[in-house]
Amino acid sequence: MPISYGQAIVLGLLQGVSELFPVSSLGHSVILPRLLGWHIHQNDSFFITFLVATHLATAIVLFGFFWRDWVRILRGIGRSLREREIAPGDTDAKLGWLLVVGTIPAGILGLLLQDKLRSVFASAQYAALFLIVNGLVLFGAEALRRRAPEPERGDPDERIGRRVSWRDASGVGAVQALALIPGFSRSGVTMGGGLLVGLSNEDAARFAFLLATPIIGAAAALKLPELFGPQGNGVRGPALVGAICAAVTAYLSVRFLMRFFETNRLTPFAIYCVAAGVAASVYFLL
Amino acid sequence: MARGRQLVWLALVLGIVLIVVAIVYWAEPAKSLPSFFPGHQAGSNHHHVKHGIAALLLGLACFVYAWFRSGGPRQRGAAV
Repeated sequence: MPISYGQAIVLGLLQGVSELFPVSSLGHSVILPRLLGWHIHQNDSFFITFLVATHLATAIVLFGFFWRDWVRILRGIGRSLREREIAPGDTDAKLGWLLVVGTIPAGILGLLLQDKLRSVFASAQYAALFLIVNGLVLFGAEALRRRAPEPERGDPDERIGRRVSWRDASGVGAVQALALIPGFSRSGVTMGGGLLVGLSNEDAARFAFLLATPIIGAAAALKLPELFGPQGNGVRGPALVGAICAAVTAYLSVRFLMRFFETNRLTPFAIYCVAAGVAASVYFLL
Repeated sequence: MARGRQLVWLALVLGIVLIVVAIVYWAEPAKSLPSFFPGHQAGSNHHHVKHGIAALLLGLACFVYAWFRSGGPRQRGAAV
Protein backbone atom coordinates (compact mmCIF):
# COMPACT_ATOMS: atom_id res chain seq x y z
CA MET A 1 0.00 0.00 0.00
CA PRO A 2 1.62 3.33 -1.07
CA ILE A 3 0.20 5.27 1.92
CA SER A 4 -0.36 3.50 5.24
CA TYR A 5 -3.38 4.31 7.40
CA GLY A 6 -1.11 5.90 9.98
CA GLN A 7 0.41 8.19 7.35
CA ALA A 8 -3.07 8.98 6.03
CA ILE A 9 -4.21 10.06 9.50
CA VAL A 10 -1.18 12.32 10.02
CA LEU A 11 -1.37 13.84 6.52
CA GLY A 12 -5.16 14.26 6.73
CA LEU A 13 -5.00 16.03 10.10
CA LEU A 14 -2.18 18.22 8.76
CA GLN A 15 -4.04 19.03 5.54
CA GLY A 16 -7.19 20.21 7.36
CA VAL A 17 -5.22 22.58 9.55
CA SER A 18 -2.65 23.85 7.09
CA GLU A 19 -5.12 24.44 4.23
CA LEU A 20 -6.95 27.06 6.29
CA PHE A 21 -4.21 28.38 8.54
CA PRO A 22 -2.08 30.72 6.39
CA VAL A 23 0.90 28.36 6.45
CA SER A 24 0.72 26.40 3.15
CA SER A 25 -0.84 22.95 3.14
CA LEU A 26 1.07 21.89 0.02
CA GLY A 27 4.34 23.05 1.53
CA HIS A 28 3.70 21.02 4.67
CA SER A 29 2.60 18.00 2.61
CA VAL A 30 5.95 18.15 0.81
CA ILE A 31 8.18 18.93 3.78
CA LEU A 32 6.74 16.62 6.45
CA PRO A 33 7.08 13.30 4.55
CA ARG A 34 10.69 14.23 3.79
CA LEU A 35 11.40 15.10 7.44
CA LEU A 36 9.86 11.82 8.59
CA GLY A 37 11.67 9.82 5.92
CA TRP A 38 8.47 8.68 4.22
CA HIS A 39 8.72 7.70 0.56
CA ILE A 40 5.93 10.02 -0.49
CA HIS A 41 6.59 12.61 -3.14
CA GLN A 42 4.14 15.35 -4.10
CA ASN A 43 4.16 14.35 -7.78
CA ASP A 44 3.46 10.65 -7.06
CA SER A 45 0.14 9.84 -8.68
CA PHE A 46 -1.12 8.02 -5.57
CA PHE A 47 -0.31 11.04 -3.41
CA ILE A 48 -2.12 13.41 -5.79
CA THR A 49 -5.12 11.07 -5.62
CA PHE A 50 -4.91 11.12 -1.82
CA LEU A 51 -4.75 14.93 -1.82
CA VAL A 52 -7.88 15.08 -4.02
CA ALA A 53 -9.85 13.38 -1.25
CA THR A 54 -8.50 15.58 1.54
CA HIS A 55 -9.03 18.76 -0.49
CA LEU A 56 -12.58 17.73 -1.33
CA ALA A 57 -13.26 17.13 2.37
CA THR A 58 -11.86 20.57 3.22
CA ALA A 59 -14.00 22.24 0.54
CA ILE A 60 -17.14 20.46 1.79
CA VAL A 61 -16.43 21.57 5.36
CA LEU A 62 -15.84 25.17 4.25
CA PHE A 63 -19.05 25.11 2.20
CA GLY A 64 -20.95 23.66 5.15
CA PHE A 65 -19.49 26.17 7.61
CA PHE A 66 -20.59 29.10 5.46
CA TRP A 67 -23.73 27.31 4.19
CA ARG A 68 -26.18 30.07 5.11
CA ASP A 69 -23.88 32.70 3.60
CA TRP A 70 -23.59 30.72 0.36
CA VAL A 71 -27.38 30.42 0.11
CA ARG A 72 -27.69 34.20 0.51
CA ILE A 73 -24.82 34.83 -1.93
CA LEU A 74 -26.22 32.50 -4.60
CA ARG A 75 -29.67 34.07 -4.24
CA GLY A 76 -28.05 37.48 -4.59
CA ILE A 77 -26.30 36.42 -7.79
CA GLY A 78 -29.56 35.02 -9.15
CA ARG A 79 -31.42 38.21 -8.23
CA SER A 80 -28.85 40.42 -9.93
CA LEU A 81 -28.93 38.27 -13.09
CA ARG A 82 -32.71 38.56 -13.24
CA GLU A 83 -32.61 42.32 -12.69
CA ARG A 84 -29.52 42.71 -14.91
CA GLU A 85 -27.90 44.97 -12.34
CA ILE A 86 -26.39 44.82 -8.88
CA ALA A 87 -28.82 46.97 -6.96
CA PRO A 88 -27.22 49.51 -4.61
CA GLY A 89 -27.38 47.98 -1.15
CA ASP A 90 -27.67 44.39 -2.40
CA THR A 91 -24.74 43.18 -0.34
CA ASP A 92 -25.22 39.52 -1.19
CA ALA A 93 -25.16 40.14 -4.94
CA LYS A 94 -22.10 42.40 -4.68
CA LEU A 95 -20.20 39.88 -2.54
CA GLY A 96 -21.25 37.05 -4.86
CA TRP A 97 -19.93 38.79 -7.96
CA LEU A 98 -16.75 39.83 -6.14
CA LEU A 99 -16.20 36.14 -5.44
CA VAL A 100 -16.86 35.27 -9.10
CA VAL A 101 -14.47 37.99 -10.28
CA GLY A 102 -11.86 36.74 -7.80
CA THR A 103 -12.33 33.10 -8.74
CA ILE A 104 -11.99 33.46 -12.53
CA PRO A 105 -8.32 34.55 -12.65
CA ALA A 106 -7.39 32.06 -9.93
CA GLY A 107 -9.19 29.28 -11.76
CA ILE A 108 -7.64 30.05 -15.12
CA LEU A 109 -4.12 30.46 -13.76
CA GLY A 110 -4.56 27.27 -11.75
CA LEU A 111 -5.80 25.29 -14.73
CA LEU A 112 -2.98 26.49 -16.96
CA LEU A 113 -0.04 26.53 -14.54
CA GLN A 114 -0.73 23.82 -11.96
CA ASP A 115 1.20 20.98 -13.53
CA LYS A 116 4.13 23.14 -14.65
CA LEU A 117 4.62 24.87 -11.29
CA ARG A 118 4.32 21.64 -9.34
CA SER A 119 6.89 19.89 -11.48
CA VAL A 120 9.35 22.80 -11.35
CA PHE A 121 9.11 23.41 -7.59
CA ALA A 122 8.57 19.84 -6.49
CA SER A 123 11.40 19.47 -3.98
CA ALA A 124 11.13 19.81 -0.22
CA GLN A 125 14.05 22.28 -0.27
CA TYR A 126 12.09 24.63 -2.53
CA ALA A 127 9.02 24.24 -0.31
CA ALA A 128 11.05 25.20 2.78
CA LEU A 129 12.44 28.27 1.02
CA PHE A 130 9.02 29.36 -0.22
CA LEU A 131 7.63 28.85 3.27
CA ILE A 132 10.09 31.52 4.42
CA VAL A 133 8.95 33.79 1.57
CA ASN A 134 5.32 33.13 2.56
CA GLY A 135 6.14 34.30 6.10
CA LEU A 136 7.76 37.45 4.71
CA VAL A 137 4.68 38.09 2.55
CA LEU A 138 2.49 37.85 5.66
CA PHE A 139 4.81 40.24 7.53
CA GLY A 140 4.72 42.60 4.54
CA ALA A 141 0.93 42.53 4.31
CA GLU A 142 0.63 43.43 7.99
CA ALA A 143 3.19 46.21 7.60
CA LEU A 144 1.55 47.70 4.49
CA ARG A 145 -2.08 47.23 5.57
CA ARG A 146 -4.40 50.15 4.96
CA ARG A 147 -6.67 49.71 7.97
CA ALA A 148 -5.59 49.79 11.60
CA PRO A 149 -6.00 46.40 13.30
CA GLU A 150 -9.07 46.99 15.47
CA PRO A 151 -12.36 45.08 15.92
CA GLU A 152 -15.27 46.25 13.75
CA ARG A 153 -19.02 46.22 14.20
CA GLY A 154 -21.82 45.64 11.70
CA ASP A 155 -22.29 43.39 8.68
CA PRO A 156 -18.92 42.04 7.44
CA ASP A 157 -20.32 41.39 3.94
CA GLU A 158 -21.41 45.00 3.66
CA ARG A 159 -17.89 46.12 4.62
CA ILE A 160 -16.31 43.75 2.10
CA GLY A 161 -18.68 44.92 -0.64
CA ARG A 162 -17.91 48.56 0.14
CA ARG A 163 -14.13 48.27 0.46
CA VAL A 164 -13.23 45.74 -2.25
CA SER A 165 -13.40 46.99 -5.83
CA TRP A 166 -13.73 44.70 -8.88
CA ARG A 167 -10.06 45.23 -9.63
CA ASP A 168 -9.13 44.41 -6.03
CA ALA A 169 -11.19 41.22 -6.17
CA SER A 170 -9.52 40.03 -9.36
CA GLY A 171 -6.08 40.87 -7.95
CA VAL A 172 -6.71 39.12 -4.63
CA GLY A 173 -8.15 36.16 -6.55
CA ALA A 174 -5.21 35.98 -8.94
CA VAL A 175 -2.63 35.83 -6.15
CA GLN A 176 -4.27 32.57 -5.05
CA ALA A 177 -2.38 31.01 -7.95
CA LEU A 178 0.79 31.45 -5.87
CA ALA A 179 -0.53 28.62 -3.70
CA LEU A 180 0.27 26.25 -6.58
CA ILE A 181 3.89 26.65 -5.50
CA PRO A 182 4.55 24.47 -2.42
CA GLY A 183 5.33 26.80 0.48
CA PHE A 184 2.93 29.59 -0.44
CA SER A 185 -0.37 29.60 1.40
CA ARG A 186 -3.62 30.25 -0.48
CA SER A 187 -5.38 31.62 2.58
CA GLY A 188 -2.24 33.55 3.55
CA VAL A 189 -1.85 35.42 0.28
CA THR A 190 -5.58 36.14 0.00
CA MET A 191 -5.75 37.37 3.59
CA GLY A 192 -2.67 39.48 2.92
CA GLY A 193 -4.29 40.81 -0.26
CA GLY A 194 -7.43 41.60 1.72
CA LEU A 195 -5.41 43.66 4.21
CA LEU A 196 -3.74 45.56 1.36
CA VAL A 197 -7.09 46.54 -0.18
CA GLY A 198 -8.36 47.87 3.15
CA LEU A 199 -10.08 44.97 4.90
CA SER A 200 -9.67 44.16 8.58
CA ASN A 201 -8.14 40.80 9.57
CA GLU A 202 -11.60 39.43 10.34
CA ASP A 203 -13.07 40.49 6.98
CA ALA A 204 -9.95 39.45 5.08
CA ALA A 205 -10.20 35.96 6.62
CA ARG A 206 -13.89 35.72 5.76
CA PHE A 207 -13.27 36.85 2.17
CA ALA A 208 -10.32 34.43 1.87
CA PHE A 209 -12.35 31.44 3.07
CA LEU A 210 -15.30 32.27 0.81
CA LEU A 211 -12.93 32.75 -2.12
CA ALA A 212 -11.13 29.48 -1.40
CA THR A 213 -14.24 27.29 -1.32
CA PRO A 214 -15.09 27.15 -5.06
CA ILE A 215 -11.44 26.88 -6.10
CA ILE A 216 -10.54 24.06 -3.71
CA GLY A 217 -13.82 22.28 -4.47
CA ALA A 218 -13.49 22.64 -8.25
CA ALA A 219 -9.82 21.59 -8.26
CA ALA A 220 -10.71 18.47 -6.26
CA ALA A 221 -13.81 17.73 -8.35
CA LEU A 222 -11.79 17.93 -11.58
CA LYS A 223 -9.44 15.23 -10.30
CA LEU A 224 -12.15 13.11 -8.70
CA PRO A 225 -12.19 10.61 -11.60
CA GLU A 226 -8.60 9.72 -10.66
CA LEU A 227 -9.76 8.73 -7.17
CA PHE A 228 -12.39 6.37 -8.56
CA GLY A 229 -10.33 5.21 -11.56
CA PRO A 230 -7.44 2.72 -11.65
CA GLN A 231 -5.12 5.39 -10.17
CA GLY A 232 -7.12 5.17 -6.95
CA ASN A 233 -6.50 1.44 -6.48
CA GLY A 234 -4.87 0.86 -3.11
CA VAL A 235 -5.32 4.49 -2.05
CA ARG A 236 -9.07 4.76 -1.56
CA GLY A 237 -9.09 3.39 2.00
CA PRO A 238 -6.31 5.67 3.31
CA ALA A 239 -7.79 8.54 1.25
CA LEU A 240 -11.15 8.12 2.98
CA VAL A 241 -9.49 8.04 6.41
CA GLY A 242 -7.35 11.06 5.48
CA ALA A 243 -10.42 12.93 4.21
CA ILE A 244 -12.31 12.33 7.46
CA CYS A 245 -9.31 13.54 9.49
CA ALA A 246 -8.95 16.58 7.20
CA ALA A 247 -12.66 17.37 7.58
CA VAL A 248 -12.42 17.32 11.38
CA THR A 249 -9.38 19.57 11.59
CA ALA A 250 -10.67 21.87 8.82
CA TYR A 251 -13.88 22.43 10.78
CA LEU A 252 -11.99 23.14 14.02
CA SER A 253 -9.55 25.39 12.15
CA VAL A 254 -12.12 27.57 10.43
CA ARG A 255 -14.06 27.93 13.69
CA PHE A 256 -10.91 28.90 15.54
CA LEU A 257 -9.61 31.27 12.85
CA MET A 258 -12.86 33.20 12.44
CA ARG A 259 -12.70 34.01 16.17
CA PHE A 260 -8.94 34.47 16.21
CA PHE A 261 -8.96 37.13 13.50
CA GLU A 262 -11.60 39.21 15.28
CA THR A 263 -8.81 40.51 17.49
CA ASN A 264 -5.55 39.10 16.14
CA ARG A 265 -3.22 39.53 13.19
CA LEU A 266 -1.25 37.42 10.71
CA THR A 267 2.01 38.02 12.56
CA PRO A 268 2.13 34.74 14.57
CA PHE A 269 1.72 32.75 11.35
CA ALA A 270 4.40 34.85 9.66
CA ILE A 271 6.81 34.06 12.50
CA TYR A 272 5.93 30.35 12.31
CA CYS A 273 6.46 30.21 8.52
CA VAL A 274 9.87 31.89 8.68
CA ALA A 275 10.99 29.78 11.65
CA ALA A 276 9.71 26.49 10.19
CA GLY A 277 11.12 27.32 6.75
CA VAL A 278 14.56 28.18 8.16
CA ALA A 279 14.60 25.07 10.39
CA ALA A 280 13.57 22.78 7.52
CA SER A 281 16.10 24.39 5.15
CA VAL A 282 18.93 23.91 7.66
CA TYR A 283 17.85 20.29 8.25
CA PHE A 284 17.86 19.57 4.51
CA LEU A 285 21.29 21.18 4.11
CA LEU A 286 22.87 19.07 6.88
CA MET B 1 -23.92 55.16 -25.05
CA ALA B 2 -22.56 54.05 -28.47
CA ARG B 3 -19.33 52.98 -26.80
CA GLY B 4 -21.31 50.91 -24.29
CA ARG B 5 -23.11 49.12 -27.12
CA GLN B 6 -19.80 48.46 -28.87
CA LEU B 7 -18.46 46.89 -25.68
CA VAL B 8 -21.52 44.65 -25.45
CA TRP B 9 -20.99 43.44 -29.02
CA LEU B 10 -17.29 42.98 -28.39
CA ALA B 11 -18.01 40.90 -25.27
CA LEU B 12 -20.55 38.79 -27.16
CA VAL B 13 -18.18 38.10 -30.05
CA LEU B 14 -15.31 37.37 -27.68
CA GLY B 15 -17.55 35.07 -25.64
CA ILE B 16 -18.55 33.08 -28.73
CA VAL B 17 -14.93 32.86 -29.92
CA LEU B 18 -13.79 31.61 -26.51
CA ILE B 19 -16.49 28.94 -26.40
CA VAL B 20 -15.47 27.78 -29.87
CA VAL B 21 -11.87 27.69 -28.62
CA ALA B 22 -13.01 25.59 -25.64
CA ILE B 23 -14.71 23.10 -27.97
CA VAL B 24 -11.59 22.90 -30.15
CA TYR B 25 -9.48 22.14 -27.05
CA TRP B 26 -11.85 19.35 -26.02
CA ALA B 27 -12.27 17.89 -29.51
CA GLU B 28 -8.74 18.03 -30.88
CA PRO B 29 -5.52 16.47 -29.54
CA ALA B 30 -2.54 18.77 -28.89
CA LYS B 31 -0.95 17.87 -32.24
CA SER B 32 -4.03 19.04 -34.19
CA LEU B 33 -4.46 22.37 -32.41
CA PRO B 34 -3.64 25.50 -34.46
CA SER B 35 0.00 26.38 -33.85
CA PHE B 36 -0.88 29.71 -32.18
CA PHE B 37 -2.96 27.95 -29.51
CA PRO B 38 -1.25 27.56 -26.12
CA GLY B 39 -0.65 23.84 -25.63
CA HIS B 40 -0.03 22.98 -29.29
CA GLN B 41 2.51 20.16 -29.41
CA ALA B 42 3.49 18.29 -32.53
CA GLY B 43 2.97 14.55 -32.23
CA SER B 44 1.06 14.70 -28.93
CA ASN B 45 -2.31 12.95 -28.56
CA HIS B 46 -3.01 14.64 -25.23
CA HIS B 47 -6.31 16.53 -24.97
CA HIS B 48 -5.97 19.85 -23.13
CA VAL B 49 -9.23 19.55 -21.18
CA LYS B 50 -8.15 22.16 -18.62
CA HIS B 51 -7.31 24.71 -21.31
CA GLY B 52 -10.82 24.13 -22.63
CA ILE B 53 -12.36 24.72 -19.22
CA ALA B 54 -10.35 27.93 -18.85
CA ALA B 55 -11.58 29.18 -22.25
CA LEU B 56 -15.17 28.25 -21.35
CA LEU B 57 -14.95 30.17 -18.05
CA LEU B 58 -13.64 33.26 -19.83
CA GLY B 59 -16.35 32.95 -22.48
CA LEU B 60 -19.07 32.74 -19.85
CA ALA B 61 -17.56 35.76 -18.08
CA CYS B 62 -17.82 37.72 -21.35
CA PHE B 63 -21.50 36.78 -21.69
CA VAL B 64 -22.23 37.81 -18.10
CA TYR B 65 -20.51 41.14 -18.72
CA ALA B 66 -22.59 41.71 -21.85
CA TRP B 67 -25.75 40.73 -19.96
CA PHE B 68 -25.18 43.31 -17.22
CA ARG B 69 -23.84 45.96 -19.56
CA SER B 70 -26.86 45.78 -21.86
CA GLY B 71 -29.45 45.74 -19.03
CA GLY B 72 -30.03 47.56 -15.77
CA PRO B 73 -32.00 50.70 -14.98
CA ARG B 74 -30.84 52.64 -18.06
CA GLN B 75 -32.17 49.98 -20.39
CA ARG B 76 -35.51 49.78 -18.59
CA GLY B 77 -35.79 53.58 -18.56
CA ALA B 78 -35.18 53.66 -22.31
CA ALA B 79 -37.91 51.06 -22.85
CA VAL B 80 -40.46 53.18 -20.95
